[in-house]
Amino acid sequence: MIQTHNLSFQHAPTLETLRFPDLLLEREENLLILGKSGIGKTTLLHLLAGLLQPKTGTVNLDNIALHSLSAKKRDRFVGQHIGVVFQKNYAIRSLDVMQNLEARLFFAGLKSKRERLHDLLEQLNLAAHKNKKIHQLSEGQLQRLGIALAVVHQPQVILADEPTSSLDDENCEVVMQLLLEQAEQQNANLVVITHDARVKPLFQNQIIL
Amino acid sequence: MNIWKISLSNIFHKPLYALLSVLSLSISIGLLLGIQQLDASIKYQFENSLGDVDMVLGAKGSPLQLVLASVLHMDNPTGNISLAEAEKITKNPLIKKAVPISYGDNYQGFRILGSNEEFAGLYEAELAEGREPSKSMEVTLGSTVAEETDLKIGDTFMSSHGLTENTVEVHNHPLTVVGIYKPTYKVIDKLIVTRLESIWDVHEHGENHHEEDEQQAGDEHHDEVEPQEEHNEEAHVSTAPHQEEGHHHEESDKEITAMLVSFRNVMGMLTMPRRINKETNMQAALPNYELERLFNFTGVGVRAVSWIAYIILAISCVTIFISLFKMVRERAFDLALMRTYGASNFQLLRIVAYEGFLLVFVSLLVGVLLSQVGLHFAFSAFKSGYNQDILLKLPYTQMVKTVLLILVMVGIAILLAILPILKMNVSKILSNEK
Repeated sequence: MIQTHNLSFQHAPTLETLRFPDLLLEREENLLILGKSGIGKTTLLHLLAGLLQPKTGTVNLDNIALHSLSAKKRDRFVGQHIGVVFQKNYAIRSLDVMQNLEARLFFAGLKSKRERLHDLLEQLNLAAHKNKKIHQLSEGQLQRLGIALAVVHQPQVILADEPTSSLDDENCEVVMQLLLEQAEQQNANLVVITHDARVKPLFQNQIIL
Repeated sequence: MNIWKISLSNIFHKPLYALLSVLSLSISIGLLLGIQQLDASIKYQFENSLGDVDMVLGAKGSPLQLVLASVLHMDNPTGNISLAEAEKITKNPLIKKAVPISYGDNYQGFRILGSNEEFAGLYEAELAEGREPSKSMEVTLGSTVAEETDLKIGDTFMSSHGLTENTVEVHNHPLTVVGIYKPTYKVIDKLIVTRLESIWDVHEHGENHHEEDEQQAGDEHHDEVEPQEEHNEEAHVSTAPHQEEGHHHEESDKEITAMLVSFRNVMGMLTMPRRINKETNMQAALPNYELERLFNFTGVGVRAVSWIAYIILAISCVTIFISLFKMVRERAFDLALMRTYGASNFQLLRIVAYEGFLLVFVSLLVGVLLSQVGLHFAFSAFKSGYNQDILLKLPYTQMVKTVLLILVMVGIAILLAILPILKMNVSKILSNEK
């Protein structure tokens, strides 16, 4: 369950304060947040992911107030309970596909089970590439690795920042299906932030910033 | 998966960076350690060789030459002095020991040195076997000589004239080995020690022989007999001017090359040399002082190379700083990503710091290896060049100091490079659309 209250953020003292509507998602509920570029979509996502400190307001994840935790505890908490699919599918470039998944779990303080990692790569059609370095992967493979990294630790919330913006219609569909599938499998909330109208039909809950 | 694995992967991800850092750092470490060890070894070798000799009394000339010739046995002597006169001066309560030495011959390049029973004591040399020479034409070998010439007790050999190996002028008086000293790592290891009488006897007969020649061949004698040995001519006892007169057996006319003196206390060292240099036709030189002077001359080279090494060290610290700093900047995304995975700032610092220290560790190993291999070659060059093998001694405290200095400098470079991680704005880096 994820809940925000009275959330606002200011990038710099001279800049306008961004205010965000309150959100409430019950378990397994998904949400699509639509908005034009520059309106603060990524800021909201980073607030939800605990990467930014809000000016006012709270983010509660399973009744734990994210921003009242100490920095160190918050890092660990976010690492364990939230998975983020970034706009560009960043993975650690010096490691290969499998090592990236292992590092993801290592930093969250979780144990990695090889079979589970293998299953996940199988599901995302990456098993054949598990020993490849990041720069050897194609765009589509990178996208799928991004999803794998967001779900490998079985988070409660999956946040996706413009996951489809650079994809054609066909791949857009594939990626969204994978995200929804994984969220359902893990019983996680999926929050997608995008300006991409193609995604709209897939979500019941939608808000516009 | 652990921090070390990630650091290692990072290094192998950019092997060229790693290689360049290791290369420059290891060269500077190797150069620093090498030059310091070389310097220390040479100094140690020289100072250790002095044994108990505080002052050396010899013929007028260069004091440095006198010390090199009569104490370190590396140069030709300045000339001869009268034993009687030298003994007169050294009968002084300030003097603990005065040991006369005389030489002019060699066997396979090793100097044959005539002295008395007190000579070995100056170097605390103990007998490995046999005994000290007790009469003329008996010799005791230094350990290096015994090793390299394969002479055993009871063996006899002929000495050659002069201080360098030659087969042209061989004396026909056999010397008998009666003892061998234990290794002392001092200059006595490379000497063949005999009684003063042996030197006198060999050259008296030689002198007589020469005189006969002289009567027959007249003025051309010297060109004939010693055409290639101009230097050693001076060194040779028999060629000293007043011995040519031929009164060899009178005690008052006995000549020696030098007198090695050790004092009872510092007072002697302060007063005696000046008096001798002023009032007699001999000179007194202080080996420690002369060597200090010598080191000051040669030290310029050592200092120059040290400075170059320090400069390379500074440059390699900057190289390490730059490559780590660049790594932090270039992999800002990776590092920010690790933060979203739950990594603490401290873990990120460790990743980069380990990376730096792994490079430094490898550089240290390679550097030490380089210095040892380099020294090995340098030392073998010395050995063949001067027949003066230099003791390979690791000055550990100096080495530890140098390594600490390197670690501190590199540590600072690494610290400066990783500090930006603490100020990293994860959100900004990840939302930056590059």
